[in-house]
Amino acid sequence: MKHLQGLWAASLCASLVVSSTPGMAAPSAAPPAKTANRSAYPAQIEGDERILHALNRFTFGPRPGDLEAVRRMSLDTWFEEQLHPANINDTALQVRLAEYPAMTWSPEDLLYRLPSKAVIRQVIDGKAPMPQQGALYAVYENEVTRLSAKRQEKEQKAAVATVVKTAGDSKIADGQQISASGTQMESPAEVKAPETDPNLVSALLALPPRDRVLRMTRMPQPQYDSLIKSIKGPQRQLLMSDLSPDLRETLGALENPERVVVEELMAQRLIRDVYSNAQLQEVMTDFWMNHFNVFLRKNEATPYYLVSYERDVIRPHALGKFEDLLQATAHSPAMLIYLDNMQSIGPDSMAAERAKIAAARDPDTKKKAPEGLNENYARELMELHTLGVNGGYSQQDVIQAARILTGWTVERPQRGGGFQFDPRRHEPGTKKVLGKKFKEQGEREGRELLHMLATHPSTARFISRKLAVRFVSDDPPQELVDRMAKTFLSSNGDIAAVLKTMFRSPEFWSTETYRAKVKTPLESVVSATRATNSNLTNVQPLVAALREMGMPLYGCIPPTGYKWDAADWVSTGALVNRMNFALSLAANRFNGVTTTWTSQETPTLTAKQPALNLLANLDSDAAPPPVQATTPASLQPTPQSEETRLESLLIGGSVSDSTRIAVLEQFAQQSQGMPATAPAMLNQKQTRPAPLPIEKQDQLLAGLLLGSPEFQRR
Amino acid sequence: MQINRRFFLHKGALALAGTTAIPHFLVRTVMAQASAQPHRRLVVVFQRGAADGLNIVVPYREKNYYSMRPSIAIPQQKVIDLDGFFGLHPSLAAFKPLYDQGHLAVVHAAGSPDVTRSHFDAQDFMESGTPGVKGTDDGWLNRALQAEDLRHRQEHTAFRALALGADVPRTLAGAIPAIAISNVANFTVGGRGPVASPAASAFEAMYGSSGDRIFHATGEETFDAVKMLKAANPAQYKPAADYPNSEFGNSMKQIAQLLKANLGVEAAFTDVTGWDTHQNQGGVDGQLSNRLRDFSSTIAAFWQDMGDEAADITLVTMSEFGRTARENGTGGTDHGHANAMFVLGAGVKGGRVYGRWSGLEKEQLNEGRDLALTTDYRAVLGEVVSKTLGADNLERVFPGARLRADGFLRLMPGAAAPI
Repeated sequence: MKHLQGLWAASLCASLVVSSTPGMAAPSAAPPAKTANRSAYPAQIEGDERILHALNRFTFGPRPGDLEAVRRMSLDTWFEEQLHPANINDTALQVRLAEYPAMTWSPEDLLYRLPSKAVIRQVIDGKAPMPQQGALYAVYENEVTRLSAKRQEKEQKAAVATVVKTAGDSKIADGQQISASGTQMESPAEVKAPETDPNLVSALLALPPRDRVLRMTRMPQPQYDSLIKSIKGPQRQLLMSDLSPDLRETLGALENPERVVVEELMAQRLIRDVYSNAQLQEVMTDFWMNHFNVFLRKNEATPYYLVSYERDVIRPHALGKFEDLLQATAHSPAMLIYLDNMQSIGPDSMAAERAKIAAARDPDTKKKAPEGLNENYARELMELHTLGVNGGYSQQDVIQAARILTGWTVERPQRGGGFQFDPRRHEPGTKKVLGKKFKEQGEREGRELLHMLATHPSTARFISRKLAVRFVSDDPPQELVDRMAKTFLSSNGDIAAVLKTMFRSPEFWSTETYRAKVKTPLESVVSATRATNSNLTNVQPLVAALREMGMPLYGCIPPTGYKWDAADWVSTGALVNRMNFALSLAANRFNGVTTTWTSQETPTLTAKQPALNLLANLDSDAAPPPVQATTPASLQPTPQSEETRLESLLIGGSVSDSTRIAVLEQFAQQSQGMPATAPAMLNQKQTRPAPLPIEKQDQLLAGLLLGSPEFQRR
Repeated sequence: MQINRRFFLHKGALALAGTTAIPHFLVRTVMAQASAQPHRRLVVVFQRGAADGLNIVVPYREKNYYSMRPSIAIPQQKVIDLDGFFGLHPSLAAFKPLYDQGHLAVVHAAGSPDVTRSHFDAQDFMESGTPGVKGTDDGWLNRALQAEDLRHRQEHTAFRALALGADVPRTLAGAIPAIAISNVANFTVGGRGPVASPAASAFEAMYGSSGDRIFHATGEETFDAVKMLKAANPAQYKPAADYPNSEFGNSMKQIAQLLKANLGVEAAFTDVTGWDTHQNQGGVDGQLSNRLRDFSSTIAAFWQDMGDEAADITLVTMSEFGRTARENGTGGTDHGHANAMFVLGAGVKGGRVYGRWSGLEKEQLNEGRDLALTTDYRAVLGEVVSKTLGADNLERVFPGARLRADGFLRLMPGAAAPI
């Protein structure tokens, strides 16, 4: 017990030291709503905690140095800047995004240059052209060969089955139980690929990048696939490491073009979330991507359309006018596909009439008849996008809105075409929604409907409440929501203005809201990556972690999107994943996610020295400066001082005593090489534990801090 | 009597304080076992991709079956006869003993009443349990557990709602915490092994002493779960049956393992893919035949593996829709409507094919092309969840379905709900 108390005392001392550090305690941003009667509201967050609170809510979590930076420029100035992302310098982010050139292409270009399986099927069936020559020809040829082989394999299997059947020699008697061991799965006859010559790999590696890729584009598909299969992780990285982004894309496309799109889509998103200086814009992009959810795997073209959906539809309007955002989503192929409006046909439209005539002429027609009115989008438009489920509409309103939106479809949806209004599918006549009449005027009916919905008081309340749940608390005060809704209506749905009203409201700054929100898996994973200032060159470990935590990127199937409240995200399995993620991240166990744990807190260094490698950049695989073996023990950072340093760096603000004690106790045991499960043994050894190598020590402390209850909140 | 585990533990810990140092963990394990009175436990298998019910449970007396499926129909002499009208696909031979023993029932012409032919929408509707309603954000099985709680509130372990797979499926999504495990061996903090890792111990101390109400409680649950699983020693598990070496076989093997480890699993979910047979699906042999052999021998192995504990188990299978009655131009079948479901359990009155047969005459078919639906899958599941979990508030489980107990097929007449 003595040992424990000692640690406790030491850590309490350490935390006192932190809070009395000059500069830290100085309150910065002036509390807003000065004129309001403060006593009418619950206690307000004060001092640096105001900055941390704002950083936790309006960014994906503070990075080392953010607190100081905001303190310098004042909180109000920082928030204003975040509301106007166009003025924010983000050159470092642009450098990282340049790794993903395809993310700047139109859906049409994407589908041409990185073809989907549907495009390849069209090529095989002669409905789409094969590119003339060059690398793109090789990409298509590989895909055509793969797909044809698959078709052929299926046909062969069927042929074998037919032979067996006609021979009538299959002996399965009625009721005879086949032992499970005797029923092993027949593995599909694998097409034996030619062996890869080991010399080929070294020959390829010896070539300069461009020649290497050129050589690989000239390999026939089976040889290419067997080469790719035969080269293992490090060798493969070597093969890719010195390639320019477009060469890397080409190489990826030779193997699986669609995967290049999906991987780059996820990479750019996480890179932005982690590194963008326009954090509020990214937070709001995440908010609206979730509000106007589109599921990645709705159909084969969806990943391609999602690139443009996020880039051209959501992000530019994330802090703009809600009506612009709504109109843009309604006109987007991604949404029209996802919620089936693309197929919706007016029951009395020209297209429906023609289909009826055709069906009457040939009743056995194999051609799929048009399916008629589809209400999905109209329903979700009102229930989830604008009015809210209790927003005062009826099933009749849904049907009428669906009629208005007939004809809103997508031109050449397999090939990346854009929005199209097809008057032949549009339902004629006057419609009535929420008591308002919409005279027949084609696409304009829909625009007017969207205008009505975007400016409806129910929408103002619904959106304001959802924003408050995201930014304030799981159950936000009604007065706050009302105030935000009022701004929404008076500003014509200006999202930035609504956020400003929230920022200036005392409810936002109530001490009750401090660390009141549980991080979603995305917020947890991204904030940990930010807090450790990790250098992210491969996002796959993060993508996998999000999937395991139940929040796959672009992977929400229902149109509801993910929830913002704690209940959905705090569960046993989720917690196991969060703790393991924290340990792995801190210990640099993820390939392509590296943190440089250089400790600068030796007595000779000033506090201004960046504690983590703040300049970690694309090219920083440089090892941290080695800790000098000759450093006198007294000058080495103690576990307590390191814990304190990491605590303020990673958590931003302090953790509870119980967390700190658990971290330090664990550290003491670890450095003695004793199992943590035997605390009694600690008392037997009175000697001071031998310090772990500093980097290991930091990794361990950081892993525990990032997995702590405090870090799961924002 | 149902012992309230958590209640006892907390009061018990107080009573024990200062007298003896029984490790917390041990108390919990002992209590977990003491309270483990026989439960009815439900296993749900989703066949993703729309299985071809007409070639799975074959209406071999239907003339039209043979005329509409010239190259893929199962010949009369090859089907495993069930009742003189229906027969199992020969690759389902492993099911026949279960059927004969009266444990396995078939419900034919069942499925979701929604007419969509989209896999995405149909799976979504089937899993949410609200066909036609897209906005539902939780799944029917989660709501069934909620309904169980309405009837008799009791404490549960973290393993109550379990999915074998990377993430919690739509079927299990909702207010009741569900746990997704893709590999039992990986459900651990800070590394595998029989003893807790140092990091795990540190986290346990941290969460155990945390003043954060939500994370304190969930942290305790988590370490309970991790330790319960470690104590069950999954690495040492020897199944009492041979499972096929397939993804589905692996999932079911792990479900059996967790059920047998007495961890408090009440509802388990897994899925099996590969049913979307548009091309060359084959007849007696071929693509579908291979899927069915894996499917049936896995389920039969699971049943055998559970041994005496199979008495507590009910297993139900479903697929988002059936396939067209006619074969298509490429030796396969396209997206259809009604389908066949299997219900397996000691409390099931098996050895019968349930449901009204809607027939394969042209005018009997749905939209002139698919088996018409006569049993809403929710009626089957409604009966199963009320008889197994005691989830008898069916409006809660399947809102809008207007299920009534007197409309059930009486698949499980004798099974009593646990009190």
